[in-house]
Amino acid sequence: MLARPGLPSFEYVQAANAAEVHSLMQQSGARLMMGGTDLFPQMREGVCEPETIVDVKHVPGMRDLSYDERLGLNIGAAVTMNQLVRHRDVQAHYPILAQAAHSVASYQLRNRATIGGNVCNASPCADTSPAVMVLEGVMVLQAKGAERNAPAADFVTGPGQTAIEPGEFLAAIRLPAPPAGAVGRYLKLGRSRLGDLSIVGVAVLGYPDPAAASGYRFRIALGSVAPIPLRAPAAEEILAANTPSEETFAAAAEEAMGVATPITDVRAGATYQKMMVRALTIRALRDVWAELAPGKGA
Amino acid sequence: MHTITVTINGAAEYLAVRSNMTLLQMLREELGLTGTKNGCEAGECGACTVLLDGEPVNACMVLAVESDGHQVITVEGLAEGDELAPLQESFIELNAVQCGFCTPGMLTSAHALLQRHPKPTEDEIEEAVLGNLCRCTGYVRIVDAIRDAAGSSASASGKGGAR
Amino acid sequence: MTHATAAASQRIGGTIGRSVRRIDAHDKVTGAATYADDLLAARGPGLYYGRLVRSPHAHALIRSIDASKALAVRGVKAVVTGEDTPTRIGLYLKDRHIFALDRARLVGDPVAGVIATSEEIAEEAARLVEVEYEELPAVFDPAEAIRPDAPLIHPELGEYEVVNFIFPKPGTNISEHFKLRRGDVEAAWPQCEIIVEGTFRLPPIQHVPIEPHVAISLWEQSGQVTLWTCSQSPFAQRDLIAQSMGIPHGNLRVISPYVGGGFGGKAGVSMEACAVAMARAVKGHPVKLRMTREEEFICTNARQSLEAHTKIGCDSQGNLLAMETRYIFGGGASNEYGVNIARAAGYSCTGPYLIPNVKGDSYCVYTNTPVGSAMRGFGMPEIHWGIEQIIDQLAEKIGMDSAEFRRRNCVKTGETILTGMEMPAINLEACIDKVTEAIQWDRREPPSAPHKRRGKGIAIMWKAPAMPPNAGSSAVVRLNEDGTVNVEIGAQELGQGAFTVLAQVAAEALGVPYEWVRISAPVDTRYSPYEWQTVASRITWSVGNAVMAAAGDARHKILAVVAEHWDEDPADLDIKDGLVMSFKSEREQPLEGLVVYGLPNENFEGWKGGPIIGTGNFMPTYVTNLDFETGQGTRAVVHYTVGAQAVDLEVDTETGQLEILKIASAYDVGKALNPDLIMTQIEGGAVHGLSSAFEALKFDEKGRPLNNNLVDYRIATVADIPREIHGDIVETPLEDGPWGARGVGEHVMVQTAPAIANAIYDALGIRFSDLPLSAEKIFLALQ
Ligand SMILES: Cc1cc2nc3c(=O)[nH]c(=O)nc-3n(C[C@H](O)[C@H](O)[C@H](O)COP(=O)(O)OP(=O)(O)OC[C@H]3O[C@@H](n4cnc5c(N)ncnc54)[C@H](O)[C@@H]3O)c2cc1C
Ligand code: FES
Ligand code: FES
Repeated sequence: MLARPGLPSFEYVQAANAAEVHSLMQQSGARLMMGGTDLFPQMREGVCEPETIVDVKHVPGMRDLSYDERLGLNIGAAVTMNQLVRHRDVQAHYPILAQAAHSVASYQLRNRATIGGNVCNASPCADTSPAVMVLEGVMVLQAKGAERNAPAADFVTGPGQTAIEPGEFLAAIRLPAPPAGAVGRYLKLGRSRLGDLSIVGVAVLGYPDPAAASGYRFRIALGSVAPIPLRAPAAEEILAANTPSEETFAAAAEEAMGVATPITDVRAGATYQKMMVRALTIRALRDVWAELAPGKGA
Repeated sequence: MHTITVTINGAAEYLAVRSNMTLLQMLREELGLTGTKNGCEAGECGACTVLLDGEPVNACMVLAVESDGHQVITVEGLAEGDELAPLQESFIELNAVQCGFCTPGMLTSAHALLQRHPKPTEDEIEEAVLGNLCRCTGYVRIVDAIRDAAGSSASASGKGGAR
Repeated sequence: MTHATAAASQRIGGTIGRSVRRIDAHDKVTGAATYADDLLAARGPGLYYGRLVRSPHAHALIRSIDASKALAVRGVKAVVTGEDTPTRIGLYLKDRHIFALDRARLVGDPVAGVIATSEEIAEEAARLVEVEYEELPAVFDPAEAIRPDAPLIHPELGEYEVVNFIFPKPGTNISEHFKLRRGDVEAAWPQCEIIVEGTFRLPPIQHVPIEPHVAISLWEQSGQVTLWTCSQSPFAQRDLIAQSMGIPHGNLRVISPYVGGGFGGKAGVSMEACAVAMARAVKGHPVKLRMTREEEFICTNARQSLEAHTKIGCDSQGNLLAMETRYIFGGGASNEYGVNIARAAGYSCTGPYLIPNVKGDSYCVYTNTPVGSAMRGFGMPEIHWGIEQIIDQLAEKIGMDSAEFRRRNCVKTGETILTGMEMPAINLEACIDKVTEAIQWDRREPPSAPHKRRGKGIAIMWKAPAMPPNAGSSAVVRLNEDGTVNVEIGAQELGQGAFTVLAQVAAEALGVPYEWVRISAPVDTRYSPYEWQTVASRITWSVGNAVMAAAGDARHKILAVVAEHWDEDPADLDIKDGLVMSFKSEREQPLEGLVVYGLPNENFEGWKGGPIIGTGNFMPTYVTNLDFETGQGTRAVVHYTVGAQAVDLEVDTETGQLEILKIASAYDVGKALNPDLIMTQIEGGAVHGLSSAFEALKFDEKGRPLNNNLVDYRIATVADIPREIHGDIVETPLEDGPWGARGVGEHVMVQTAPAIANAIYDALGIRFSDLPLSAEKIFLALQ
């Protein structure tokens, strides 16, 4: 019922490379760790009791962050939130990811919290998940001698559940080059102005697309309002089909609200969360639109 | 048990630590560096903030063994001998200290901020100490003291953030 | 002579009224300041640790406890249970067991304590203690708990020892009922032009000092017992623990280093007694017991919940005529301290208003929630939440500006207030004037965006130190060879600046520079002079008086020696900046040397004087009892501190989020001994008050905590503070305060929440009668 003081006993091992990760993972009661910011509180609460903690952040490549115009962004799973926030290419090409990473907890925690840990922990309120989803990221899962790509769209399968198979670990997240002219916005609503877990997170990415009836496409993903982070396809369709305007945004936001299935808990009630999905979606759309088509109005 | 070497406030320490010992426990219980405080052991309050290779971290959320081969600076390491750091002087001068329990963490967070941004904006100050809870001061003097130590009247950018 | 020259520059202005540097700040910015957990921090072979086994049930009978598995764990030294501490403990009403004896009354009630060689082993073993419970129906809400058919939480209430001014009702959950009867409300209602009635509720909240509770205790074979702990009440703890455990007071030594925030949460006794009981089981070994943050939220004292029902009326000119109010405090599982909160709320039930006809009933009732106890404001934030809103409603109905309505009706010097006491000198109108000016009360300003609404609100307050009528203070002033001074007090530095201000008082009263004064800390009941408790905003006033007396005593002794030496009249001498001087002969004599070695007679034929020690004490002697049926008496309390706050805010109608643009505060402190320290109280209090409006301890239907951590119980961060905090100081001297000073530590947050609620009403036209506020609540109310 009450968290224990300090951490329960376990054995700590640092994996030097992927092979070591794989062999250490075989041990019963082994658990991977990067920043530990999700794992340690869970251990104090007795939610999980690993016998061995395998620190994987020193595996080569895990903390690399590199950008290529064609290939996009390669984010080692152990890249910290602050690394993302500070990185020039992330700021230039994936500002929505920088915004999401920046919204996590506090400055000092962001020095430890990793993006990989954030998505693997698979909490509905993980702030980077909606951003990674609208950027159509791909999870690079490393099995013994094999690598597999899992689309972010269906990576999280339930609260605390992911598509990671036994024997695999998350090595990196790859984000394709964003569509030309893309503008993104991550809006997070907490109980206080900053630093809270999100009770609603809305990621919107918009970009010009001549093939769309409206001339634009928008991708929308929602956090904290369902067991898993969600895209809002019906809302996206409305925006592709109709000229951007206040009415279109309102209609799209209504659809976004429709996909949200929040539950009432100590942080917020379901009704409020749903209505905030609508409010934040409209705000994010307005913001994105103002940047996409300056002066066009809505 | 792991044997580790860690440089703390400039001096090398050789220690044997259990796997489940946190950096906070190591500092306080093994090294007697009690300036770093325990307010929650959960990454929530910031009282345990120390600098790991110059960057602030919650010492309660770092394993002692992870500090092997690294540099740690605690509140005890901010002054140069008897000479207080400008930040410490400003905290005294502007009455940014009340009960003092948040103070070590505030100072280490602020110290790192001034290393990153010698002339921080209001938003940067806010970002730097957002994770340091203080129940006494209402933060007003803490922000003033950081601004004062930076020797700047930080640009009045107001409060941004997602709204 | 060196001192005298150095000191000459300090003479201008003296020490009182000057914002000198905090005496504790250097220690605190270097990490050198010692707090309870810093004592015996290094793990050593003789040091043991404790962990507590806690009830998972809100209300249950304890059928049996089997500790055999725990005792079998390597490193476990002992397990103690309620049978080891069968006597009760408590401040005003002895209703508490150190370890639950036969009944657990809240989720988290300690039922056993495990002592082991490490905290980790103690924790593991605590999980192995098997307790058999028989669950009982529980009650959480005060309005339900007061009903005659509610589950009885303390069936033995009638047997409990209680002080003579508290009135429990055996056979019910009522631990205190205070009655206030003045004038005739029934006759007054028909004369009222407007009557407003409302119910206001507040949830229990926590103090959340950043330092959690820590206690270390050592019980020696000889029977000497030491308790090191972060305490607002070393002497009260000594008294209560000594009584309950049969320790001679002289054998129990309580040592309290710096306190990392108290706010009332470290007043009285809570987990400290467990540490002492555990130490008795392992004599010769210190036992360290610390609360985790998660325990801190539910297993230490909390602020009580309240349901207030108030009816109030005024005549057509806006003069208050009558008030009828019923306060039901949810006191939690034990009300040993909380009973006096209900009493304080009762004798101050009108708030700072003069109302000729009053009927007030204030109850404290048991609930199966965390133990309610002192928290900054001691009942006043709770009752002002409703009072200050209903006053606004009345003003609106009668068509009067609410600040004007308050000016007209607020209590003034010399008036006979609700208890029949004459109001000591204060100037609440000046406080109202200051805040209305600072907030530009008459100006309506536009919101910053079309989807926002802007509003302003005002609230005023009063609060008296709530304590036994004869709570005393004492001080010793010792002079050292070089003229520096050590001041011994039993009062605590909690962050409020007590040590600094008391050093100022000693310096001024003695005639030495502030920089010469040291406070003898930590407070140690073996060496420090007696102090009731560091609570009730009474330290500057009460201990200030004691220090002033002690310094005066020392000064008197010094002057006597020098006067004799110079063959002058002591009345012609003074001490200034560490120098004794004669107005008459203009002779001078530095304190250095003299204050320890005395002065040699001419030709060294003998000596005069000797080491100088001054002693002093202070105890109010004039507080009278109040009539049980009417709450009337000549002097209910020592005095009141009053103040006003005004708030300017904006509401985002799309999300319900609030932004506080400005809080303006003004308090009548009598005399600002250190003006900047008062400003830091005003700033910290405004943010504490703002934060408290959004705080609530939440529980599930079984009384289990839902937010006992700092992620889900949010306190204000740097990002939540108002854009501007303005403070003004009003100075109407208090008759028996040092230089006229009275306390202000608690008052600074008392009326912040209702000031915000009034501003929200101004912005939106919506009243929130229940705390906590939240963006969600505001948004939903707007729909
Ligand atoms: C006070 C506090 C505030 C917080 N606030 C926020 C917030 O505002 N927003 C937010 O989104 N989160 C928040 N968090 C949660 C947490 O900080 C983030 O989710 C963080 O990104 C987790 O990263 P990590 O590296 O610390 O993860 P870890 O704790 O190291 O790991 C998380 C999970 O992933 C598993 N894992 C680790 N590495 C791998 C791998 N390579 N492959 C597969 N599985 C792996 C672990 O076993 C564990 O289950 C907060 C946490 C705390 C303590
Ligand atoms: S003790 Fe580490 S954040 Fe609170
Ligand atoms: S000064 Fe007390 S918590 Fe900050």
